[in-house]
Amino acid sequence: MQEPKIQLSNVRKAYGGRTVVDVENLALGRHGIEGLIGPNGAGKSTLMSLITHKVNLDHGSIVFNAGTEGVVLSEWSLDEIARLGVVRTNQIIQDFESLSIVDSILLSLAPPRYEKLYSLFSDEQMQREMRPAVEEYLSYFQFSDPAGHALSAGEKKLLDIIRCLALKPKFLLMDEPTTGLHQDQTDRVLELIRRLTRDDGMSVLIIEHDLDVIWNACEHVHFMAEGQIMTQGSPAEIRGNSTVEIKYLGEPGA
Amino acid sequence: MGLPTYVFYSLSIILVYVSLATLLQMQFGQLGIVNFGIVGFWGLGLYGFGVLLLQYGVPYLPSLILATALATLAAFVLGWIILDLDSQSVLVATLAFATVVADLATTEKWLTEGIRGLGSIPYPLDLGGDSELGLFLIILVATCGVLFYAVRLRRAPYGRLLAGIRDNEVLARGIGKPTLRHKLIFFTVTSGAMGFFGALSASIQHFLVPTLVAPTVTFSVWIALIVGGRQSPLGGLIGVLATIAVFDFLIELFVPIPAGYAQYLPIVKLMLYGLTLMIVLLYRPLGILGARK
Repeated sequence: MQEPKIQLSNVRKAYGGRTVVDVENLALGRHGIEGLIGPNGAGKSTLMSLITHKVNLDHGSIVFNAGTEGVVLSEWSLDEIARLGVVRTNQIIQDFESLSIVDSILLSLAPPRYEKLYSLFSDEQMQREMRPAVEEYLSYFQFSDPAGHALSAGEKKLLDIIRCLALKPKFLLMDEPTTGLHQDQTDRVLELIRRLTRDDGMSVLIIEHDLDVIWNACEHVHFMAEGQIMTQGSPAEIRGNSTVEIKYLGEPGA
Repeated sequence: MGLPTYVFYSLSIILVYVSLATLLQMQFGQLGIVNFGIVGFWGLGLYGFGVLLLQYGVPYLPSLILATALATLAAFVLGWIILDLDSQSVLVATLAFATVVADLATTEKWLTEGIRGLGSIPYPLDLGGDSELGLFLIILVATCGVLFYAVRLRRAPYGRLLAGIRDNEVLARGIGKPTLRHKLIFFTVTSGAMGFFGALSASIQHFLVPTLVAPTVTFSVWIALIVGGRQSPLGGLIGVLATIAVFDFLIELFVPIPAGYAQYLPIVKLMLYGLTLMIVLLYRPLGILGARK
């Protein structure tokens, strides 16, 4: 167990009088890969939006690298937070529709020094530097047309994950990453994430309704319902927890 | 030179339109900013230059630089206020900005001489009979510079970034791109360039009157870009050749028009632009250079 990477305190968010998130105290990133589960409408996605400051907090604080000198994330913008190393993959498919797969990955890899108004001739050099990394992603994840555009919903989802991984995040938030992916692609994503967690010290938080993914991949699971963190523990503890069973696992069809 | 001076006059105007349309291609086609205030930036350059040169006696080159700086500053302030708004708001705000510029050109008589007109503005180089040619060559070089930039931009990492912001700004922010800053810088510089071409245009026109800064300029540039193809860096060039060059240059100069009908020409011209636009949109919705759908 490590020091938490993200510490949430008294975090609250309401939409039109309805409290969506109300988390008193939550430490994230103490284990390599953590899961966030709970019924629909529990506030899981909103919690991630609050962490990356896609959505404004009503109250409370979210501190990144809480152990050392902390950064209060709610004072930074979405793009600054991404540059700090806190990155989120999207639940709903998001794509740059005019960019090919390669261009999309290159865009994510491009450091600011190449993205200047006056650097008109830097693409060749950037391609030389970045192309091997692009090729590595393309050979690891199989696209039906690697030279063209992401075609299916699954490929777009995969490309979204690759774009986030290309940023070399310190903390990766994954919002239902495996929805729409084939089983073998899901396995590859999880394998790569396990490796990055082990070798590069990346922390991951996964929201997932496919509970097999959670039980297999996560070392620690947070259970959320009605905007609150109800309980947390190892996958085995959560599976056996009576609250989880009543509020979530016992649901018909779950 | 054997060519009559009005040929260089017309060609210079066409080149200015090519530059404006290419700058709009970068703003709208590449980055997705709906700038309907083209004539505002161009007009600030035009009148700023004329006022500095004639009312304050500033020499030619400093006037050119200061007028460009004025348009750039206006673009920065306007962009700072509006660029994080949605595209409809940007459209309305830029259109309103251009209207303000046109109104000021009429009302601030102490600066602009109002509808009486401000003149006369000399050529940048006094070459006797070849002064028109000199101006034309300067504008040609500047236009080639803009076209070159637009073509290179497409293949540069910066162009990829701008396309990403156009496609999905929130997603671009999510992967760490400071999109608002990039939009503001690019809008400021390209709108400032429109002001630069406005300052150069003062010498083409000689005499500045408020009708020069009417919204027609903006609409002509937009029609040209849509006809030519907004996705291609050469869309502005092709569009201007297919519209303004045909109607303002070829028809106006070479088709004999009875004297009594000359007054209808500007109206007929706009109608013909519109007709061209409709025909192109019917058969090639993405413009002449656009990919077939």
